[in-house]
Amino acid sequence: MHARFDASSMSEPEEAAVLDARILAAIQAPKTLDFDALARDLFAYQIRYNEPYAAYARSKGYDAGHLPRRPIDIPAVPAAAFKEAALATFDVARAAAMFETSGTTVGTSGRHYLATTELYTASLLAGFERAMLADGAALRYLLLVPDPREKPTSSLGFMMAAVSKRFGDGRTGWFLHDDGLDLDRFMRDLASACDAGVPVCIAATAFAFVALLDGLAAGERRFTLPAGSRIMETGGFKGRSRVVERSDLYTAISQRLGLPESSIVAEYGMTELCSQYYDSAGSRSADRRVKIAPPWLRPIVVDIDGNECPPGVIGALRHIDCANRSSVIAIETEDLGYASGDGIVLLGRDVGAELRGCSLDAEDLARR
Amino acid sequence: MPKTLPAVNALRERSAHAIVRAIADAAERWHDADFPPRVRAQAAIEARTGFAIPVIEYALDRLFGSLQVRALHTAVEAEVGSLAALDGPVERYGMRVHARGVDTAVIVGSDTTIGVALVPAIYALIAKCRVVVKDRDDGLIGAFFETLIEEEPAFADAAHAEIWHGGNDPREARLFASAQTIVVFGSDATIEAVRLGASTATRIVAFGHRASAGYIRRSDLSGDTMALAERIARDALLYDGSGCMSLHVLFVESEGAEATAFARILAGALDRAAIEFPPGRLAAGSAASHAAARDLAAFRAASGAGTLITAPTAQASLIVDPPRDSPPPLAARIVPIFPVTSADEAADYLRAHRLPLEALALADTDHYLALGEVARAGGAVRITRFGEMQSPPAGAHHGGEPCIMPFIRWIDVER
Repeated sequence: MHARFDASSMSEPEEAAVLDARILAAIQAPKTLDFDALARDLFAYQIRYNEPYAAYARSKGYDAGHLPRRPIDIPAVPAAAFKEAALATFDVARAAAMFETSGTTVGTSGRHYLATTELYTASLLAGFERAMLADGAALRYLLLVPDPREKPTSSLGFMMAAVSKRFGDGRTGWFLHDDGLDLDRFMRDLASACDAGVPVCIAATAFAFVALLDGLAAGERRFTLPAGSRIMETGGFKGRSRVVERSDLYTAISQRLGLPESSIVAEYGMTELCSQYYDSAGSRSADRRVKIAPPWLRPIVVDIDGNECPPGVIGALRHIDCANRSSVIAIETEDLGYASGDGIVLLGRDVGAELRGCSLDAEDLARR
Repeated sequence: MPKTLPAVNALRERSAHAIVRAIADAAERWHDADFPPRVRAQAAIEARTGFAIPVIEYALDRLFGSLQVRALHTAVEAEVGSLAALDGPVERYGMRVHARGVDTAVIVGSDTTIGVALVPAIYALIAKCRVVVKDRDDGLIGAFFETLIEEEPAFADAAHAEIWHGGNDPREARLFASAQTIVVFGSDATIEAVRLGASTATRIVAFGHRASAGYIRRSDLSGDTMALAERIARDALLYDGSGCMSLHVLFVESEGAEATAFARILAGALDRAAIEFPPGRLAAGSAASHAAARDLAAFRAASGAGTLITAPTAQASLIVDPPRDSPPPLAARIVPIFPVTSADEAADYLRAHRLPLEALALADTDHYLALGEVARAGGAVRITRFGEMQSPPAGAHHGGEPCIMPFIRWIDVER
């Protein structure tokens, strides 16, 4: 990385504004992005204003006078750290948004504070548009994710609200509530869209899809979605009572909703990230789907010591998200995957996990 | 899995003593580190588990060394009174009683460390049951059964071990439906699936995933802490912490500084123990869990919360004073150390996180009465000394269950 950004004479708001402008420019014109330089400058900014992160960085040997040379050297905080400390570059009492984790970590929720929602919105919209709307389709959004009016701490709800507001036809439906899935209203709205020939985007967590499919099967209901319709599936089954293989889930969705499996796109995101991965267009008909990051988000597959794994070798996923300006740029996860071409193959947490012992593990305990 | 089981079980014609003798003879051959089937099994276990060969050798030495005539006699006699009761009616309580083994027992050994499923299989065979073991990919149980058959051909009718995967095979459903006793090691989901597949009359003995803990009293820290640490190191290091009798949580009755000082001694002991029991190869998921726990501890320590101490040779991490509002990390080669002011505090932590315990280790088991609340809080069924956690004696009641009784139906012949 090469120095080209002198923040020494800037106040925090000034520096944040300059960085935000660079990030927004990168989102709008990715070819202008110098990822390594932006990542380095973001890290330098964050350790000036985010004390818990700065302390962690110091414990790894990095400070303002000794910055990481490469993105992989940027200290990555484990996702669970978001429940240990307010990882923010600003006073969280002034947070524009606060999202809570659910399921990624065990125990109490982690919190991701954002100084502004502008970067998150810009990043998620650009990422969604690249991955889901490459054909420029105007869709009706039928959403089986938390409604942000009921659960403002859901980053997924925030995301889909922004997407549907920006790209939708004004008739967005929210069907997931605290008391469960509003199946009757969903079927009514879906039938209405089908009758009118309006293509839809159904977004849901994998678990919500299972509940939806169970409900449709119970009522012996099938649909044939209008041409151009698509599905965004996200999340997993952690802590849930019923787990379905993803390939089986997609087959069932395809059969019950009448659209090709290649129109089902998996999104991979985390509350701790402002940017998301999606299945690459070229892999949506393949057995192994490859997830692609937008240019301002970089995945690194690492081994137990944090060294980068060669392509094809399974390791833990680390994310460097330049849209995480006001929190932490580098996040370490327990999600497994491997590098493949210009993306990653996500394997979740249980890959190859034929247990070799009878010890309890964290996921076992969480399910009890 | 076997398509059909033999209709005739010649083991029924053998005396229980002869069966025990044959088992002990086979075990003695397997206790020899150069016995070719054992050498082959070791390689297969290493490939499956990634454990270091010295660790596997230790496990096999322990397993087969425990299957001796005297030990098996004692365990059986403790539960059914005498071996003769397995052969036919014996006088007792003014009547004649026969501890007759059930026809068919199934052992599902999906989540055991090394050969743990063999122990219930052995007791089922002593009870003269036909036994079908769902073996691991290393085929250890099947290989031992071959030796048993060499010792006593009648075992061919009774001892079956097969490797199969998944739970959707209709033959598995038929097998479960035909069993009078099913012993299952595995996750809650595995156990639930077995229960659903079994008949209502089937006796199911379930060994779910559990953890184990240790408790060091304040007075223990004024003794030979180096020796104590050496014992604890073995408990923590063997099987990379993946067994239900591995040390997953260590409570130290002390102020934080004393616990940290002891953790440093323990780190040294772990590194020395790793020379005898080198760390194994972790699967990617285990490695990721280890890294996440270690790095979270480093993150907290950087802000002054808790301490992270590493043992580089053992490739282990000791986390002093982890967060109390979370369960322990339960990750490979991670030793969380909780300073506590009293046993009540430890018990409260175990209760708060509903941590199911198999074993509780103490410096001296005579302290059990003072620390019983800790054991009860986690439901521990075994109280042992540090250094012995991974070495339960023959006849131990794993999971709090009897050894041979699950395979027995008493027949009372009244006068």
